[in-house]
This record gives sequence, C-alpha cells and structure tokens, in this order.
Amino acid sequence: MTTPIPLLNSLLLAAAVLPAPALAQLPAVSIERRLAQDLSLRVGDTIRLGTAPDSMGLVATVAAVYEPRPDPAEIAKVERHLRMHLPDLAVLLGAPDRVDRFGVGLVPGTAVDSAVAALERNAFGFRVYPSAAIAAESSETFLVVSRFHRAIAIITIVASAVFLLCIMLLKVEERRMDAAVMRFVGVRRRTIFGALLLEAALVAALGCVIGTGLALVAGAATNAYYRSFFDTALTFSLVTPGIVLFSVALSLALGLLAGAAAAWRLVRTRPMVLWGRG
Amino acid sequence: MRGIAWGLRSLGRQPLRTALSLAGIAVAAAMLLDMVMLSGGIDQSFSDLLLVRGYQLRLTPKGTLPFDTEATMTRASEVVAALRRDPDVEAAGAVLGTSLYARAADSLVTLFGFGVEPEAQGLYEVTAGRDLTWGDTAGIILSEPAARLLRAGVGDSVTLVGRLDPQVAAAAVGRRLAVRGMVRWLYDSRDQPSVGTVLPVMQRLSREPAEDRASLILVKARADERVPALAARLRAEFPAVEVNSAAELVVHFRQRLVYFRQLSYILGSMSLIVAVLLIATLLTIGVNERLGEIATLRAIGVSRATVVGQVLAEGTALTALGAALGILLGLVTARYLDAILTSFPGLPAAFSFFVPRAGTLSFAAIVLLVTGSLAGLYPAWLAARAPIAATLRAEAT
Repeated sequence: MTTPIPLLNSLLLAAAVLPAPALAQLPAVSIERRLAQDLSLRVGDTIRLGTAPDSMGLVATVAAVYEPRPDPAEIAKVERHLRMHLPDLAVLLGAPDRVDRFGVGLVPGTAVDSAVAALERNAFGFRVYPSAAIAAESSETFLVVSRFHRAIAIITIVASAVFLLCIMLLKVEERRMDAAVMRFVGVRRRTIFGALLLEAALVAALGCVIGTGLALVAGAATNAYYRSFFDTALTFSLVTPGIVLFSVALSLALGLLAGAAAAWRLVRTRPMVLWGRG
Repeated sequence: MRGIAWGLRSLGRQPLRTALSLAGIAVAAAMLLDMVMLSGGIDQSFSDLLLVRGYQLRLTPKGTLPFDTEATMTRASEVVAALRRDPDVEAAGAVLGTSLYARAADSLVTLFGFGVEPEAQGLYEVTAGRDLTWGDTAGIILSEPAARLLRAGVGDSVTLVGRLDPQVAAAAVGRRLAVRGMVRWLYDSRDQPSVGTVLPVMQRLSREPAEDRASLILVKARADERVPALAARLRAEFPAVEVNSAAELVVHFRQRLVYFRQLSYILGSMSLIVAVLLIATLLTIGVNERLGEIATLRAIGVSRATVVGQVLAEGTALTALGAALGILLGLVTARYLDAILTSFPGLPAAFSFFVPRAGTLSFAAIVLLVTGSLAGLYPAWLAARAPIAATLRAEAT
C-alpha cells in the first residue's frame, strides 16, 4: 500500500492492491489526472478512502480519470481532487444528509436579488449568495495580482521612458559634426531638425518591431515554462493586439519626443560650437 | 586619484545627459531593490510571523497545513497531555477553529471562533482588558472587528450560537459569555471578526464535545536546536497527525508563492541589465566623443591606467549616485507594492511581502555597484586602445 495522500476537505486516499471484490458493488469514483499519475492508477483499479490514516475503511473503484478545468486558484496548491457520489461521501464522512452548499437555478425572469432576500428570510442557518457575488469574491485574488502587475508595468514604463530619452539624446548628440557641416553648406535648421526627427522615428519604429518580437518570444517562453512548472493549460502571458498597439504608440511617442527635444537643442547651437571651435 | 577626479568632472560637463542617466539608473536600482526585497521578504516575514510567540512546531490533521482545511483531530487532550510530558517540550496547547454565530440585535452575525488553551497559546496578544484563564468557561475575547460587529466591549456580554439546524429553525447550542479582553489575533486577515473561548466551550459550540476535536496543536520546544529531533520523534509517536516545524511551513508557503519569487528574479535581472546597458552606452558614447581629448592626454604622457581609471570612475560614480537615489525610490515603491499584495484575501494582516532590512539594501547596492562598475570595462578598453597619432591627426583636420 502506498502512503496515504491528502485530498481536498481532508479525505485521505491510498492506492491498494486488494482481493478483487465484485466491482459492481463498490462505490465508483472519478479521479483527476494528476492524482492518477501520482498513484499510478487506472480506470478499474480499487482504492481505499478514509478521513484518517487509521480509518481507511471505504473501498472504491476508479470509474474515470478526468482532466480538471484549468483554475488559477488551484495551481499553487498540492491538493488532488476526487469526485464521488454524494451518498458515498456522506457515509465516508459519517455525516449523512449533510452538504456544504446547494446550487439553485432560478426560473427565467426571476429577479436574483428578490430570490436571495426571500431565501435569506425563510431559511434559518443558511447564507444565500448570488453567483455573481461568489465570482467577485473568488476573483479578488486575481484582481490583486492584476493590480500588482499593473504597478510593475508602470514602473517598467517609467524606466523604459527614461532609457529611451537617454538613448535618443545620445543618438542625436552623435550627429553634432554632421549637423555642423550641413549648417556650413547652407542646409536650413528646419531641414536638419526634420532629418534628425525622421531618424529618431525610424530608430523608435525599428525598436518597436524588435521589442514586439521579443515580447512574443518572452511570452511564449513564459507560457511554456509555467505550463510545465504547474502542469496546467492556463495562459500566463498574453500579448494582445491592444497591448502591442499601446506599447508601440507609447514607444513611438516617447522616441519622437526625445528625438525632437534633442534635435531642437542641436539646431539651436551655433555651427562653430557644434564643430568644436566655438 | 587624478583619473577619478577627471572622471567625476567629465560627468558634470553634460548635466542633462548625466541627470537622465541617473534617473534611469535610479529607476532600475529601485526595481532591483524591490525585487530583492520581494524574493527574501516572503520567507522572512512568514517565518517571523510563525515564531512571534516562540512556538516552533505545529501539529495538524494528517496531510493538511494549519487552518488550510476544515479538518480536525480527535482526542486532542490526550495528545496535548503526552506532549507536555515530553522533556523537550516547554509548552503545548490545542486550538480549534470554527465558524460560529452571535446574536446581534435581531439577527445572527457570522464569526470565526478559536477555542484555545490560554495557558499555552500562540495565536493572539491581549490589547485591552485581560486574558482568559484556564477553565474560564464564561469568558470570551474579541478582536477589534468582532467587537465592532457585536458592538461589545470589555465587561459586556455576548451570546454565541452554534450548530444551526435549518430543519427546526433553531441553534442546537447557545452560550452567553462575558467579554474579558480585546486581542489581536496574529494570523487574522484584515477585518476578520474573530472571537476566542477556552477550548471546551468552542468544542461544544462546534460539534459534539465528546470527540475532543482540535484543528491545530502548537508546541514550544525548550531549545531551538532540539526542534528537528523533537519533530522526528513526534512524527513517529503520532502517525495520524502532521508535524511541521516553522521552517517546513515556510517551505510550503514558499511553494504557494513561487510565482512571486520567480517574478522577482526575472524582474530583478532585467533591472540589472537595463542599468548596465544604460551605463555602458553612456560611457561608450562619452568616450567616442572625447577620443581627441584622450589622445591628447596620452600624448602629453598621461598613462593608459589613468585614462582607464577615469572611465571606470565615471561608471562607478554614476552607479553609486543612481543606486543611492534608487534605494530611496525603491523604499517608496516597495510600500506601494506591498500595500497592493497584502490586500490578498485571507492573508494575515501582519504579513509583508517587501521587508526592508540592512542586509537586503546592502546586497542590492553591492550587486548594482559591481555590475555598474563592470559596465565601464568596454568603454575603458576603447579609451585605452585609442590610436594617439591617428586620432590627433583626425582632430586637427
């Protein structure tokens, strides 16, 4: 017999090699894929279930192995799930005719709020929650993670903006001699400014293309790594057209702004100073 | 020294460029510091929280972590008595956690109840009034949120009810208790309305008391170095329960929050790369601009080492100033990020993700300083190998 492993709600399970009783008489359970892998179980195997290691009294047969729906709330937990018929679980827990919750479907057209109020009034010992409230409550964790990601994104954008400003400034500053020569041969300031701005725009556009490619590769790598790490089909990194559009627009705007500022500074400087003789 | 002075002076020649670079390095340093704090803060904060009352071991139902499920252990008193007989155990106390109700005006409010053994508890600190005492079956202690909900204070009475039966629309058990004190539950989330009674009262309110159930048993060892051996012995002695030391619980917790740990490594590395790129780019362009000046210095006899020292000094000065600004910025952003993450539902209010410590600050500063200084190596190499004659000729034309 293997070591008992914990299941949700403190059930314990152990895979066992048992004398084959008539399978039809045994309670049927379905187990999640990872649990089947952990205990090398297959459909038709028999298992012992209990609420404590010294009371693994219920013998059941594995009727199905299922893949649970990917759930972000579950990925970091080590619990394994098993589904069984309600009466079998009640017997196992020694709590006949007890449940944790009821699901209630309303007749179409019935107002949820009034149904909740009516049930709260009449059902002593119950708390009644609309599905929307439960969804909001259970998604709170992900809203927090989302807020954290947004805050990190803002810091990253600030850092990137400063980086971009620096690079653009340096890039334009590199053109001091070129600008001086152009001024000496009579090229107008406006033309030099336009040329430098165009160059800044091209650099920013090229950076956007490379950055988008990098984001797609990094996103794919992130998904591949975490899907393997957590053994799940969840998507961890999603590069949407909206995100790409926002990033490209922001980068172009920042690049042009930085390029314009640096170019303006350059064209206002006297040619001899640019040439290094002023 | 002469090279270092030149290096610092050359930073002042381009104030706008230097200011922008410092801003970039400061933001990258702030991010690096935050991520270093995040990577170590989770463990540190959780470990501090677990050991705040000195209880190094937790016994829970087999296969569970403290208060992770509603599972309970039976015959808790027997286990506690056996633990207290152990020569390595200084104190041991059982805790039962359960949902229960209290009458407030004409309605019932839902509370979280702790049944404790006041002579050996590691879950709360008394903030007002007095603690429960052994055998005080008429007393109750309240958290601030519970007191607000019940509109009760020290000396008032509250009525707790348990085991509601929808079939007969009545509670199977009720108890009127006097509020002895106000407490801060160490592991409660924000605004969690928790109350505490002695263990037998809570057992009676939750289930049949004959089963003598507990959710958790806290054990304080006489000496920290005896904890691993004591844990191993308890595992052998009580195979039906899970024995976890604080260090082992930290490992479990770390696994749950592995995402944040890995994120901190990735973002920390990226911050470092950004800072290095910025410094290296800036210095490289600066060296290219000053090639004539460098060639002149070399021509009049300034050594190659002095020129290299000048470039490296520029890099180090930029990094040091940026890191200093970044640490200040990082501490501010850490508070902001911590406020976001600690709003996780169910997380103990006393928990913190970003823990500023002298060691953490020093580590981030040293890493940044070393890598920032190394970023100056390439431009320093460019400066050192500048051809003197060719550069001077090019400058002259």
